[in-house]
Amino acid sequence: MKKILSASVIVFMLFASGFWAKNIYAQDTQSGKTVMNEMLLAYYYPQTDAKSEISMRIVNRQGQVRQRRLTMLRLNQTSGGDQFYYIYFHEPADVKGMSFLVLKHLGRDDDRWMYLPAIDLVKRISSSDKRTSFAGSDFTYEDVSGRALDEDAHELIGEESLGTYSCQVVKSTPKRPGETEFSYRKFWIDKVTHLSLKVEHYDLKGKLYKVYETQEIQTIQGTPTITKAVMKDIENERYTEIAMKNVSYNVGITSDIFQERLLRRPPRQWIGE
Amino acid sequence: MKLERLTQAVLGRPKLVIGLVAAISIFFMAQFPKITIDTDPKNMLPATSPVRQYNDKVEKDFVLHPDVIVLGIVNTEGIFNQQTLTYVKDLTNAVRQIPGVIVRDVDSLSTVENVFSKEGELIVRPALGDIPKTTEELTALRKSILDNSLFVGRFISSDGKAVAIFIPIEPAANGKEIADKIRAILPIDPGKNHFYLAGDPVARDTFGTEMFRQMGLFSPIAGLVMCIALWFMFRNVIVIVANMAAAMIGIIWSMGGLIGLGFPVHIMSSMSPVFLMAIATDAVHIFNEFAFRLREGQDKRSAILETMKVLGGPVFYSDITTAVGFAALATVTIVPVKIFGLVIAFGTLVVLLMSFTFIPALLMFIPEKHILKLASVQGKGEKFSPSLIRMGRFCVEKSKPILLVGIVLFIVAIAGLTRIHVNNNMVHWFKFNSEVRTADRVMNKYLGGTSTAYLVVQAKNDGAVGDPAFLRQIDGLQRELEKDPIIGKTFSLADYIKRTNLVMHDNVPIFNRIPDSKQEVGQYLFLLQSAAKPRHLDNVVDFSLKTANIIIQLKSWDADAMKSVIGRANSFFASHPLPEVTNFKPAGIAYFNMVWNHEVLWGMVSSFLWGLVLVLILLVFQTRSFLWGTLSFLPLLFTIALIYGVVGLIGKDFDMPVAVLSTLSLGMAIDFAIHFVGRFHQRYKEDHRKPGGDGLASDSQSHLKETLIWTIARPGKGIFLNAILFALGFAIMAFASLTPYITVGVFMAAIMVLSSIMSVIYLPALIQLWSRKLIKQTPRADRNCAGVVFVDKKGGV
Repeated sequence: MKKILSASVIVFMLFASGFWAKNIYAQDTQSGKTVMNEMLLAYYYPQTDAKSEISMRIVNRQGQVRQRRLTMLRLNQTSGGDQFYYIYFHEPADVKGMSFLVLKHLGRDDDRWMYLPAIDLVKRISSSDKRTSFAGSDFTYEDVSGRALDEDAHELIGEESLGTYSCQVVKSTPKRPGETEFSYRKFWIDKVTHLSLKVEHYDLKGKLYKVYETQEIQTIQGTPTITKAVMKDIENERYTEIAMKNVSYNVGITSDIFQERLLRRPPRQWIGE
Repeated sequence: MKLERLTQAVLGRPKLVIGLVAAISIFFMAQFPKITIDTDPKNMLPATSPVRQYNDKVEKDFVLHPDVIVLGIVNTEGIFNQQTLTYVKDLTNAVRQIPGVIVRDVDSLSTVENVFSKEGELIVRPALGDIPKTTEELTALRKSILDNSLFVGRFISSDGKAVAIFIPIEPAANGKEIADKIRAILPIDPGKNHFYLAGDPVARDTFGTEMFRQMGLFSPIAGLVMCIALWFMFRNVIVIVANMAAAMIGIIWSMGGLIGLGFPVHIMSSMSPVFLMAIATDAVHIFNEFAFRLREGQDKRSAILETMKVLGGPVFYSDITTAVGFAALATVTIVPVKIFGLVIAFGTLVVLLMSFTFIPALLMFIPEKHILKLASVQGKGEKFSPSLIRMGRFCVEKSKPILLVGIVLFIVAIAGLTRIHVNNNMVHWFKFNSEVRTADRVMNKYLGGTSTAYLVVQAKNDGAVGDPAFLRQIDGLQRELEKDPIIGKTFSLADYIKRTNLVMHDNVPIFNRIPDSKQEVGQYLFLLQSAAKPRHLDNVVDFSLKTANIIIQLKSWDADAMKSVIGRANSFFASHPLPEVTNFKPAGIAYFNMVWNHEVLWGMVSSFLWGLVLVLILLVFQTRSFLWGTLSFLPLLFTIALIYGVVGLIGKDFDMPVAVLSTLSLGMAIDFAIHFVGRFHQRYKEDHRKPGGDGLASDSQSHLKETLIWTIARPGKGIFLNAILFALGFAIMAFASLTPYITVGVFMAAIMVLSSIMSVIYLPALIQLWSRKLIKQTPRADRNCAGVVFVDKKGGV
């Protein structure tokens, strides 16, 4: 054990540059935390429930395109706490009917199930890994479902205007490095809507590799909602465009549809063909 | 001869000439700081070559990294212990901090997702997450990893004794520098663990660095040996300075010109200094003749002029044959080879120019008192070594048995030549026990292979790759390829789909296959996209499911390994045709190496053959006789046949260094024969005019014999001494740590020794045999030939 320790110490000492140093000095400030919390609530938790139709367009280096179309149902248990998600894929044709059920928990791994129509199989997924891609896009599972406030140290590092928006800039540094692809992220959060307009991802050597940008915000039922966004992977020259259609809030989604057995028979009142 | 007039002009203003040469040298030297080094074998083919463009396209389309360093950890007691696993995790994190490493794409067990089924649940998590604390946990981890066929052979050996971390580096990064930085962070006391660094960038850039180090070490040593040799011959500092300066000027002008024109110094052109040094030894003839003239009591100026008058021809011809041999490389399509040939050809012409200008000018500065000493070194009268006389008699009297032995040797050599194996293996440029080669060998023993190839299978329509029949076809091809033990590991979309099918069906073995419906394949593919880094799938299939990429790991860097891949793929698709498949194409570093090897080596072989023809034509032109030209040419042919026959017989690959040397051997091996034939003619005619020669046939025959014995004993001695001294100089390179330098050293020594033997032993036998025809044709003592008369590399005439 001693050897292991000394080896790791050497390793860390030698590379105590970059992210390690930043980590030590990363500040978890109250102001940063407040701004970030407001963003999480505005982005992941608006209203009690929501139904939206999402189209994704993934474009690779060769210019080839993959299309995805899905319906997402969301129900909050508590604001800023547990949430239920039901995700149903309409397109591409060969995955039509594939669906996912996510019971998102704070502080422990989510409960997840999926349904594969091709072999009529419902399977429980146990995943501790949130770095995986969401449906092959440049968004990660974590980007879609959110990362808990406590997992990063948030520091308000300034104010900047993006176009007509005036933003607060927050730098978020993971408290447990090595589990994420990024060493830190920088958020540009609109002061009025509390939505993030831009997120920059920096790799372990501090190089910018991925940028998220909000392209359109609509106010739906009084709730400012991001309806178009893009995630660009700079290194791999890929990007994913995401567009929300038919967003409606407080439609009366009940918790009884978030059941494993209902994956085979999707709730048709919410999910069209 | 016009060149004499040049010398005449030079002697009027020796200081001006030396100053001018120095000024030009400073100009060329000023180019050196601009040096750029290029050790990437990829640049053997121009960026516009179809193979290279296709390779770039494949790498770009499938998001593949061309340069990947493999860090292997081997623990013969198994890697599933806390210490080794911690190393894997820590080192994976640590290497990502190294500049030049492509951070996000470092792959190891701690970065890849392991998707497996456990009690009906689908588990997705890093293959190596938290380090297990108990034996049970270690056992479970071992099972979860070794059960995943996607990992075995790639990230871990099937026996669980070796793991690999794949470290892609940026194209501009230096593989050796990064490897050194990785070495620096390796644990100092790793217990039972051993660390190995392999992969193309390590080998390539280590070679690049070592190459210059070795060149820096052995060029001066070879130079020093030559200086010592010169000292024993002439005992005069200026002579040594003049000879070494001529070599240096040749090197500086040609290398400076190369660098100044913006060309990078490539593996091949880095060898130019040693080659040019060998070529510059031609100047020895001038000193020798100069000393001879001084001994006759001529004054310095006329001695120089007389020397250049008689030597103009042979020095000119021996340098021109060398230059022609190298310039012939310009016919090769490979740009670095072309440049190398032209650089040496240019350097040789510089040496030639120096012989007529700079060297005579420098000789003017030898102080008078030293001249007497220099003259006296040359000894007085003729002294023959009794053993050489005996050898001479033997050669002349037993000409037929000697020729018979020669013919037998030649037949053996031809047999060897037919067994020559054209191949190049960059890892074999390192010695067997070197770090690089050991790492490669160990990694190849445990894992799928350190060399990579791709087979890109392209269908006609979008979505075709998702067809189960198509995937089964690819799967079948992979199994066929893996029958070759050199092909260690293959993986493709078929492996991912099979694996998913198995996991979805709770590891029931029968489901370790391609599913039957296209829909099922599509849904598995969709799942895979969510369970892995997008890049991993992008490596094996494109978005539109039209093109699939099979990644092939090879356990050898031999071109043959790749030939086996292509051969097997061809025969597989011939017997299992797929209507959808429009074509399949190989790519990757292994294929790339195979292609440029083929082009370089065969290009060199053909330019070498052209060189041979050109040299023969030059010799015929020089002697004004087809027979004499051919005769002078034969020792060269014999030497080369024997050397390459031995290469074939001992099973040494005909690789790039050997190919490069073939061209040099042209220029080097011919010199002794030129001298021998020239000296023989001169002596034969001189003696013929002496009183007592009555012209009778029998007397003419004995006269021929006497002349031959004299030639063997006198100039022959010089030839042997010269050969042995320079052979020793180059033999020192056998102690180099890179095999190409060892090859160069041994080869040069062999060329020297063999061509001297061929010239001194076989030429007399041949002259004897063909005497009737030859003597009739005894060339007129024209000015081209007469010069040969007094030529000898070694003093003692």
